[in-house]
Parts: sequence; C-alpha cells; structure tokens
Amino acid sequence: MDIGSLKKESDLSYGIAVAKRNALEKAQSRLIIVYKEHIFRADSQTINLVKTLGEVHSSPFYILDTNDNPVEISNPKEFLQILVQRNQEAISSYHQMSKTFEKKK
Amino acid sequence: MTKGVLLFCFDTADTRYHSILERCVTLVKKNLKLPITVVTNFKTFKRMKPLGFINYKFIEPELGNTKLGKEWNNVDRHMAYELSPYDTTLVMDIDYFCFTDNLAHFLDTDYDFLVPDTAYDLTGRNTFDQRRWSMIPMVWATVLVFKKNHKVRKIFETVKYIKQYYSYFNDMYRVYSKNLRNDYLFAMALQQINGFTGYDKLPLALPTLPPDCEIIKITDNGLVWKHGDQISYVEDQDVHVLNKEIADV
Repeated sequence: MDIGSLKKESDLSYGIAVAKRNALEKAQSRLIIVYKEHIFRADSQTINLVKTLGEVHSSPFYILDTNDNPVEISNPKEFLQILVQRNQEAISSYHQMSKTFEKKK
Repeated sequence: MTKGVLLFCFDTADTRYHSILERCVTLVKKNLKLPITVVTNFKTFKRMKPLGFINYKFIEPELGNTKLGKEWNNVDRHMAYELSPYDTTLVMDIDYFCFTDNLAHFLDTDYDFLVPDTAYDLTGRNTFDQRRWSMIPMVWATVLVFKKNHKVRKIFETVKYIKQYYSYFNDMYRVYSKNLRNDYLFAMALQQINGFTGYDKLPLALPTLPPDCEIIKITDNGLVWKHGDQISYVEDQDVHVLNKEIADV
C-alpha cells in the first residue's frame, strides 16, 4: 500500500470513528428524560432498577435522580414504559446511524 | 407558571451577532416551541430581519471585555434574573443551535437552578478539558435554567458581587484567562453561595464545535463543518458553535 492510499484509509477510519462517537453522544443526550419534575437517564441501569423494584417491592418506592435526589415512584408501570420508549428511540436511532457507518467501510 | 427562552444579542465591530440570532430564534421556535425574549440594543435591533412574535428588552451592553483581541459583549448575563419575564427561564447563548427539543424538558423540573458542567468536543479531540485552566471546575453558562425565587435571586446577587471584584476572584481561583467569562463567573458564584459543597447540574455534555472548525453548511436539522481536511456533520443534535464566522454562512 502506498502512503497516499494509507492516508486516505486512515482519514476514512478517523472520520467514521468520530461520526460514530458523535452518534453515541447524541443517543446519550436523548436518553435524558424529565419525569415527575426530576431528571433521569433512560439507560439500562434505570430500566433494570425500576423493573426490579416494581416486581419485588410494593409501590411507592424511591430511587435517585441524576443529581442523587430521592424521588417517589408511585406508578412504576407508567415510568417503566416511558423509560423503555425513550431508550429504544435513542438506541434505534444510533443503530440506524451505525448501519450507515458499516456501508462506508 | 410562565416559561420561556432568554437570549442576549449585541452586534460588535467584528461580528454580526444578529445573523446568528436569526438562526437561533428559528430553531428555538421550531424545536423548543417556547416564548422568546431577546435582550439587545437599538443598533443591533435595527439590523435584524423581522423574527415574528418575540419580546425585546433594550439595554446598552457593558463594554470593555474582549476575546482574542476583539470586542466581546458578554458581560450582561448577570442581569438575566431581572430581565427575564418568565417564572422559569432557559438562558442560552445565541450560538447554541437547538436541533432537538432536548432542552425544553428541563424547564419542567423542580430544580431552582441548573447548569451543565461538561462540554463534548464534536471533533473527537477532547479540547474542553478545562481543569488545566483554573482551580475551580468550570460550568458551561452557555445554557442555564432557573426559576424566580429567593434562592436563585441570591445566586444572581452572588454573581453580581463576584463580577464586581472579578479580578480578585479570578486570581484567587487561578483562572488562566484574564477576560471575564460567564462560565467561571457562575462557577465561582455557585461554589460560594452553596458553601463549597457542590450543586445540582444539568446532566448534559454540551455538544460543541471548537473555534478552529469552519461551518460550511447549515440546514434545518443539522450542520456541516470542516476541520483540517476532514468534513463532518451532525443531524438532529444540538450544537454549540464557537467559531463566530458562522454569522457569514
């Protein structure tokens, strides 16, 4: 491989890596939601926590928001639905972007 | 309870900030769907194209601050509390382009005052590692959300106090840049008023394009930039653009 081709390949890989990183950051931003006047991340940790507490603990239960303030969750089903919906909206968008990166390789 | 967006815009000899404002307002209307109040002066106002239903507050900007040797009229942010007509206010730099509705939700929290403390470099170079530049963790006053109440009034009073003695506080916190930056001004005020114990933050890393990125195209839902020989773009993602030549795009 000549140096020109190497540079071109390297630039392409760099461009894809930055775009993929930005797409992930976009998804991370989109995971942030406001529920009952508090801020949460609709990530796997929050989803698992709410699902588990909803199953093994009677309502209401209490969890921490992104600033570690306690929040009463009185309707876990509703909250879980919102979390899952936002999580899949963000990750599905990231998945679509990832597909376009695959094509560029 | 009213809520809305407060924007500050003053043209300078070097930069037509009103052009940046025009783009910003369009995006706020489209994506945040909130009432807007623009703080400006008559000189800048006369240059703006009609922007639809918007409140204007006229003040003369405090002069004297500079950035890279150029006039920089950013010193009036401390007046946001008095100037805002809303119960809950989102203050935004006009070079923060809202290509999403992400910020709108933060006006519906029970937090009194929220500010982000991290920025995300869209060029992948991590150029906003601010810890090297001061002894205080910086906040990004690019975006502030506040309610009007006793506690927040005290925060803004502290901001004014620190602004008055800024050179002293700047030296005390060993801030590298000597000009007045709202990022440090608010970081100092929040640290002081909260008894050096930390404070609530917006859990956002502000997606930011460093000043050495040339914006080559802006569309309704994103923008394209050039850095070196790389051309990149984002879509449906908010962007804080530090290169003020965006006024000419």
